[in-house]
Amino acid sequence: MIGRGWLRTVTADLFRHWRHFAAASVGIILGVAALTFFLALGFKVRELLLVEIFPADHLEVAPKSADIDLFALRLDLGRDALDASVLTDLASIEGVDAVYPKMRLTVPALASGGDSIFGSGLQTEIVADGIDPMLVADELGGAFREVGGERATTPCSRDEQCGEDFYCDGARSFSGGMCRPYIPVLVSPYVVELYNGAFRRAYGLPKINPDSLMGLAFEMDFGASTFRSSPLPPIRERMRLAGVSDKAIPLGVTLPLGEVRRLNMALDGPESGERYHSAVIEIRSKQSAPGVVDAIEAMGLEVRDRGARRAAFATAVIMVVLALVGVVLIVVAAAHIMHVFYLVVMVRRREIGLLRAVGARRGDIHFLLVAEAAAVGMVAGMIGLATAVAAGVAADAFAASRVPDFPFKPESFFAFSPLLLAAVLTLAVVACVIGALPPAFRSASGDPSEALAGR
Amino acid sequence: MHPASCILHPASFILHPASFILRPCRATLRPVIRLEGVRKRYPGADTDVLRGLDLTIDSHDFVSIVGRSGSGKTTLLNLIGGLDTAYEGRVEVDGRNLRSFGDSEVSTLRNRTVGHVFQAYHLLDHLTCRENVSIASLFARGEKRRDAAWVRRRAEELLATVGLDGGGGRRPSTLSGGERQRVALARALFHQPAILLCDEPTGNLDLETGREIVGLLTELHRNGDMTIIAATHDEMIAAAGAQVLRLHDGRFGDPKRGVE
Repeated sequence: MIGRGWLRTVTADLFRHWRHFAAASVGIILGVAALTFFLALGFKVRELLLVEIFPADHLEVAPKSADIDLFALRLDLGRDALDASVLTDLASIEGVDAVYPKMRLTVPALASGGDSIFGSGLQTEIVADGIDPMLVADELGGAFREVGGERATTPCSRDEQCGEDFYCDGARSFSGGMCRPYIPVLVSPYVVELYNGAFRRAYGLPKINPDSLMGLAFEMDFGASTFRSSPLPPIRERMRLAGVSDKAIPLGVTLPLGEVRRLNMALDGPESGERYHSAVIEIRSKQSAPGVVDAIEAMGLEVRDRGARRAAFATAVIMVVLALVGVVLIVVAAAHIMHVFYLVVMVRRREIGLLRAVGARRGDIHFLLVAEAAAVGMVAGMIGLATAVAAGVAADAFAASRVPDFPFKPESFFAFSPLLLAAVLTLAVVACVIGALPPAFRSASGDPSEALAGR
Repeated sequence: MHPASCILHPASFILHPASFILRPCRATLRPVIRLEGVRKRYPGADTDVLRGLDLTIDSHDFVSIVGRSGSGKTTLLNLIGGLDTAYEGRVEVDGRNLRSFGDSEVSTLRNRTVGHVFQAYHLLDHLTCRENVSIASLFARGEKRRDAAWVRRRAEELLATVGLDGGGGRRPSTLSGGERQRVALARALFHQPAILLCDEPTGNLDLETGREIVGLLTELHRNGDMTIIAATHDEMIAAAGAQVLRLHDGRFGDPKRGVE
């Protein structure tokens, strides 16, 4: 039934009644634009929350805290560490693929360096933890690895003599130095974002490209502090930045687990090398997360990053509410389309009667009007999509130029995926078609003689 | 059956008294339209507009239905042409009861079997004359579906037949009343209908133009094999018909009386 003749007829009808259809399209354009804009915004925020801020494929498990506030102090009455047996139990939970223990550095540390970037050396108290390098093997490859087995005893007087991953420790001493490996460290994107978004402004420092930080070397004195000194002499190590990862401690640096264990045992006693302050659970799928969380809580432990779930839920609620605004606009527009089509079929009553007199079936008339409505929906929908994308681009441009940097500020706040655009366009077309159905059925309901006579 | 096919059989011819032309004899004709006890009342009306009509019209006939305004002429044509399906009684076209037709069948009847010419032309001003003539092709099905080139050629041929050669690209709004009625006639002929129903085809035309339209109808009847039924109160059209039926207050009257 669909052919060039039909296409011409539909197109001619649309042009003939363009004022009516243009008026009817306004609601669809606004509805589609609002729905697309808010959904794209919501999807992007959700993506930021779940992928960058709260990755949901890993859960961090820690002992359940049982804090009691007593005047200025908070007493921790709960278990404060996980031992090897707990890790074994965690690994046996259905849906858990792997367990990666994390160990906090239990002695103070001072970090110093950064001359090449900041112009002068910085020294700061710093906290550190250690993670299993396997946890970040996928994202960083072999750059972040245990170096305990690589302790060389090669004498040296310059760093260049020791090879790429080593430096000459004690090169300036009278007896000469020994080659020692750099300890690879990770920092969290929080640290970079915090620096670029706030810290650098306060100190008038340059903005840093995270990629340029790779390979940055600095020294750490473990057991040293400006507040309180360790009874044991501090251990100085040279660190080298191996990557930026959300698996790293949010504020501080993350070392290979074996290095932290070594340092804790050396400076805080042997037992501190067997106590893990948390563990990262790699779950098989997001769908298995609820069951894993229940099992973990049944063990008397708690999942720390529930923020992801809360954030995702809050985002979903906001997104649904905003999307509902768009959907309501489209529904109202569909009602408007219905009224316009009632008007159009009334104006075209004799014409429709004639079409039936020359052989059009009721279905043909329905098809003709529905095709016109679909075309209106398609054109209005595309204008609406273009409006939404243009508004998104304008909002991004405004945010880039006027909104100060903040942690995780994205280049674009919108995720205009082809699937989203196609879905909203389909909704617009369907809404117009549904709106046009009652007038279409009404128009072809009587006999042609009534329509031709104007009865 | 084309009238010319009877020429080899002189016995089958009679001299028709009304038109003085050779007509196929009754023996070669068959009833193409039959009405039995047809009654029609419009919603809200106090009386029937058609009051139990019985009528048989043979193929190839040219029948004029005459009567005053409101006598039921248009209603009768609408019933025969399947434009009006709300009536009592029985209407048969080509041996089939229209009441048994569904929407698809009655639409096919309107598309293939019956051509309508209306007093008000009912041309679509947003289409060209050619597109108006070929509009029935949009709803053609089966073997009647043709490609665009054929449809265009057919429309041009029909426009030439009604004397509008080369006028296919014009809009109806640029045409005179007579030209519009010619386009409407060409539209009615698009699928070579077996029955042509003309409702006051000269009602909106001046005498000379009306005469041209009547001439066209007479020529179509002479050269074609279609049944023509013309509702009119125009004496000229009535005289063109081989059979004149008088409709008065919903009933057929004395066919020998003149046109009122």
